[in-house]
Amino acid sequence: MKQAQNLARMPAPARYKADNAATFVEAFEGNAALKEGPEWLVSLRQEAADTVAEMGLPTPKLERWKYTNVHPAIKDVSGVAAKPGFVVKPVDKLVTDLSESLQNAPEWLQSILTERPHATFRYADMMMWELANMFTQDGVVIDVPAGQKVSEAITIDFTGHEGQLSAPRAVIRLGEGAELTIIENHKGEGQFWNNALIQIKIADGAKFRHYRMQEYGSKAVYTQNTHVEIGEGAHYEAFTMALGGNITRNQVHAAVIGGGAECDIYGINLLDGSQISDSTFEVEHMAENCNSNQFIRSVMRDQSKGIFQGKVYVHEGADGTDGYQLSNALLLSEGAEMDTKPELEIYADDVKCSHGATTGQLDEEPLFYLRSRGLSENEARALMIEAFVNEVVEKLADETVKDVVLQKVSQWLKL
Amino acid sequence: MIEIKNLHAEIDGKEILKGIDLNLEKGKVHAIMGPNGSGKSTLSYVLAGREDYEVTDGSVQMDGVDLLDLEPEERAAAGVFLAFQYPVEIPGVQMSNFLKTAVNAQRKQRGEDELDALAFLKLVKDKMKALGVKDDMIKRPVNVGASGGEKKRNEVLQMALLEPKFAVLDETDSGLDIDALKIVAEGVNQLRGEDRTFLVITHYQRLLDYIKPDVVHVLANGKIVKTGGPELAQELEARGYAEFLGEEAA
Ligand SMILES: Nc1ncnc2c1ncn2[C@@H]1O[C@H](COP(=O)(O)OP(=O)(O)OP(=O)(O)O)[C@@H](O)[C@H]1O
Ligand SMILES: [Mg+2]
Repeated sequence: MKQAQNLARMPAPARYKADNAATFVEAFEGNAALKEGPEWLVSLRQEAADTVAEMGLPTPKLERWKYTNVHPAIKDVSGVAAKPGFVVKPVDKLVTDLSESLQNAPEWLQSILTERPHATFRYADMMMWELANMFTQDGVVIDVPAGQKVSEAITIDFTGHEGQLSAPRAVIRLGEGAELTIIENHKGEGQFWNNALIQIKIADGAKFRHYRMQEYGSKAVYTQNTHVEIGEGAHYEAFTMALGGNITRNQVHAAVIGGGAECDIYGINLLDGSQISDSTFEVEHMAENCNSNQFIRSVMRDQSKGIFQGKVYVHEGADGTDGYQLSNALLLSEGAEMDTKPELEIYADDVKCSHGATTGQLDEEPLFYLRSRGLSENEARALMIEAFVNEVVEKLADETVKDVVLQKVSQWLKL
Repeated sequence: MIEIKNLHAEIDGKEILKGIDLNLEKGKVHAIMGPNGSGKSTLSYVLAGREDYEVTDGSVQMDGVDLLDLEPEERAAAGVFLAFQYPVEIPGVQMSNFLKTAVNAQRKQRGEDELDALAFLKLVKDKMKALGVKDDMIKRPVNVGASGGEKKRNEVLQMALLEPKFAVLDETDSGLDIDALKIVAEGVNQLRGEDRTFLVITHYQRLLDYIKPDVVHVLANGKIVKTGGPELAQELEARGYAEFLGEEAA
């Protein structure tokens, strides 16, 4: 498989420095276990800790974090969990605990764990990544050999630890023509911060479906950084349902590096109270005739806030690219807010790209039509909201997941 | 019996209904004809309870209940049905789901048992067949991508399922081909009965050839200006509305 290279191309570094990571740097310093282990690992953590100490954590001063400020929500998070909370099912020979594989990590795993696909000066995209690097201790490695089509979905149930930061990592590798479905369930009450780092390599002709149900309690902070590389004729389908949490930052960077590949990043946000859910996606097209789709629908009540920052970057030579971005939001209360920033950069020929963003309320006409047929106002609204999010859910390839999502949607509507 | 008395209604501060008086006798078919813009659809929306129309005066009683006090869904449960002149498209809401929710919502409001999926499916299939609605229609989103005529048939299908006491049909004939017109008229005629009152809004005698009205009213400039028997429709077809428009037509 071709390697993703030259992802860096942003202009000169923004002179950003923030002195706001002391708690975590101290936790790092005070944890002897992090200084143990193979040399590559110790230096990975140390370099990351140095960077975080020097540059700090993201604040809204950075363009990429303009709408999302995690700091008020993490101010009571002080410790760092020795072991992030997660359970993988079924226990399968494809799956290993990262804590075990770290000691004798094979070359390929080392190289993934130490990659930094964004140039260091694109620090806005790397800060949470470095935070995960710094505490690399545990997580999950899933390695599917070429040709193996895993029929049963692997589920990973994540949770948090009160008052603590957890930094689980996941490395997922699909060999040529392999197939895999992963369902991440995120649950748990309490004031904690889970900062996940997920790296995915999808070899030629392989298919990976990656679903996430985020249902943390209303005080949790969840930030996640996914970096995925998609080979020739391969397919990545991602879906996140953000229901819970105080703040969610779902950041995906996809490098489409093989010709004819497909990348679909879907999401629905169902928010209330003062929840914030931020979907920040970037798809880089680096090969010919690939398709990508970013499609997010958000429904917001109360004071909640949705954010969509989507980008499609078509490199020189990635001719015949189709790249779409769409964010539609429904605001059910006056205080709710949606911020959108779709971007396109194209340096290739014969490219079809579009981006769209709409924010609005439920239409009165269909509401009246439904009520005139006997549906109560609440039933009519629920039916229309369901229909609104269903248009994303319909895109998903996995029927079981579709059903689960629709159930959760109707539960949310009954709240 | 539906009694409409001195009904005034406005939208965006503009008065459209200027004192409508109508007595609709139970079991009868009343036709309303009238020039474009005279307020026919406005009247139908006000009867169904659309909120952007403000009723500034008057009353509407159905069997002694004041309809204007009820929410649209309460009116529906009480037996009011409006076949829209322009049926609304609702992307993403499957027709079958919508119909089932509507039927059961009304049953629930009336304190009746809800229909299960199987019983409902049988009911809807029978009605669809009778009205010549294509099988795949119930799998499609409500009215989305349906032709003008298909939308009108969908309205009549809903009426047949909901079996209202008082049905207002707002230009249900427009957009229908001749065969569809016959089928739709037959659908209405089958529902005709002692307990059911129809208010049929139309521009054309043709519909009234199939659905024979008992009474014909002329609505012009927000008021009922003439009431007569079925022959009135024929006169209007021949002479137009000039005599009712007074100065405006001159
Ligand atoms: N939102 C609005 N603001 C101002 N005037 C309106 C509004 N909606 C409707 N009207 C006016 O109300 C009048 C009555 O409209 P209505 O639709 O009831 O007529 P109609 O008799 O049904 O006509 P047609 O035969 O064309 O269906 C028209 O003059 C129309 O322009
Ligand atoms: Mg009209």
